[in-house]
Amino acid sequence: MSLKQQLPLLWELAKRDLWERYSGSSLGALWSIIYPLVAIFIYLVIFANIMGAKLPGSSNVYSYGIYLIAGVIPWTAFASTVTRASTVYLDKKNIISKIPVDLNCFPLYIVMSESMIFAITVAIFFVFLFVTGYTFTPLVLFIPLIFAIQQLFAYALGSILGIFVVFVRDLKEAVNVIFQFWFWLTPIVYVAEILPEFAKPLTEINPGYWFIGGYQQILSYQAMPNFGALAFLLLVTVALMFCKIKFMRMMERDLRDCI
Amino acid sequence: MIRIQGVSKKFKIYATPADRLKEKILRRPCHHEYAALSDISFEVGPGETLGIIGENGAGKSTLLKILSGILLPDTGSVEVTGKITGLLELGTGFNPELTGLQNIFMNGTFLGMTHEEIEAKKDTIIGFAELGDFINEPIKTYSSGMLMRLGFAIAIHADPECFLVDEALSVGDAYFQQKCMRKIQEFKESGGSIIFVSHDMNAVKVLCDNAIMLEKGEIIIGGYPKEVTDYYLNYIVKKMNQDDGVCKTRITQNQRNKTTTSDLIHDAIKLVDIQILTDDGREIGHCISEDTITIKQIYSTKIYLEEPHFGFFIRNRFGQVIFESNTYCMSIKTMPVPANSTVTVFFTIMVPLIPGEYSISLGISNKGIKGTRGDFKEYLGIFNDVKNISILKNDNSIQYGGIFNMNPTVNFMVNE
Repeated sequence: MSLKQQLPLLWELAKRDLWERYSGSSLGALWSIIYPLVAIFIYLVIFANIMGAKLPGSSNVYSYGIYLIAGVIPWTAFASTVTRASTVYLDKKNIISKIPVDLNCFPLYIVMSESMIFAITVAIFFVFLFVTGYTFTPLVLFIPLIFAIQQLFAYALGSILGIFVVFVRDLKEAVNVIFQFWFWLTPIVYVAEILPEFAKPLTEINPGYWFIGGYQQILSYQAMPNFGALAFLLLVTVALMFCKIKFMRMMERDLRDCI
Repeated sequence: MIRIQGVSKKFKIYATPADRLKEKILRRPCHHEYAALSDISFEVGPGETLGIIGENGAGKSTLLKILSGILLPDTGSVEVTGKITGLLELGTGFNPELTGLQNIFMNGTFLGMTHEEIEAKKDTIIGFAELGDFINEPIKTYSSGMLMRLGFAIAIHADPECFLVDEALSVGDAYFQQKCMRKIQEFKESGGSIIFVSHDMNAVKVLCDNAIMLEKGEIIIGGYPKEVTDYYLNYIVKKMNQDDGVCKTRITQNQRNKTTTSDLIHDAIKLVDIQILTDDGREIGHCISEDTITIKQIYSTKIYLEEPHFGFFIRNRFGQVIFESNTYCMSIKTMPVPANSTVTVFFTIMVPLIPGEYSISLGISNKGIKGTRGDFKEYLGIFNDVKNISILKNDNSIQYGGIFNMNPTVNFMVNE
């Protein structure tokens, strides 16, 4: 089946995914707005007005809040995409063992649904920014590009992990642990400059920072993202994608038997 | 059309899932294999129905899963034209939290329908399933029969070219099963290919054009449904035989109409002769409906039979059993038969059957098991279709349809 034929299926799965998350609750999908709303409010208002945290060298009260949110929102999208894609074959075993569906659909719909949540969250964030008197630059137009590369990377990574997790169930927990570490190893809560000298090269080889740094550059420093790093990320993604295709070809039969 | 060629499937059984990884890394086999299917080939053309029978664990479900694309075969090719849907087990990928209607959309999308197509067919599907207000309730509140109704309704309306039916159909109530059967027939007439898995031999005989029987993942016999189901029933009888090892199944080819029959035979027992006789002892090949006839059978035995029982069954041209009974079921005490002797049995019956071609089959066994409805300790022989008889129209009788004349009487009462 071509991608075009699968589009209705992907759309339906993603829609259901968003709906199911809060199914049974009376506010329903409204929760997917309430959560980011609260988070952004806390970061922006509490950090700025109550704790008075600021970025080094900045006089704007909201500078740290903006920096933090610029990193946390895409990171959350990235981490959720990868961790959820890594368990999607197990979560959807009742479908995979009953209906013939292209296995690639499953991580793909997670990418779609997490991207939708990201879009909603960013929209809310921008409203907050607007209210605080933030001046937008045309640089924000690069955000969708960075996000696209990031999610492609997340798709490839999540799919590969997803195949492994079917055979080694412990990996599911391991992925969560690794993501905890990865979050704190990436300059999201702190700025890269405060890292001790020996740790700085770590950010260079951290694929997470290749894209997170881009958002921070655009939103906090109103500067061009590091296109070199992004191009490299794209290259890594292409390589991972090849691995994923090859790997899927090798393991699909076993995977279906195992589920 | 469905065409499969040399399909084999082995399941690897590992002690733990991690062994699978160990095997891949160490390149040392850590599993034992279980052959679920070996070298299966068949073809189902447009408008044809193939029946698949076999015991539990014979590989029927694995075969259906491979056909539908849920599992991939190790070797061999599977060719399916158009869309293949079906009713495989219950709750085919339904989400228990969603309502029936939402599941129609979800399931329909999985079966490759677009939103518009589902929107257009939604009412037909709901109408077919006849779930009433339950369609707006979450699936988790459904009974298994209701799930099956919904599953079938979606699958058949998804515009398939090939349709798979398995035992799940038997969950439905009699009314809905009939409705499904009519729909399947309709689908067949419009040129669809059907694979029908069932334990109901009569349904297989009536619905299918061809049948295969699977045992331990292999096709052990394939052909006309009647031949295959006979073989299957013999196989079951042989298995039930407590004194096993003596009986074997013999397949004979009938050159005249190129059909095969499979009989259960015992070396010591022989059916010497069978005749159909009129009241006055003439041998006949046809009779008039509602006549009385006698089936005379002569067996020779080399062994002593302590408590032999004799039976017969009459089948119509579809192979459907119209009547069957035996001396044990008729509560008749039989006398012992000494070794190296012959025994002649006469069954006298009245045949109020609708005109047509019928066949007579015979069975002989030893020692009935108390409390059962005709199970025996030893089955000594089943001889399928040993005699044919044409039943002709009785001009003195009423006109009727169906299987036999129930000889109705009628009374009127008119109240003003």
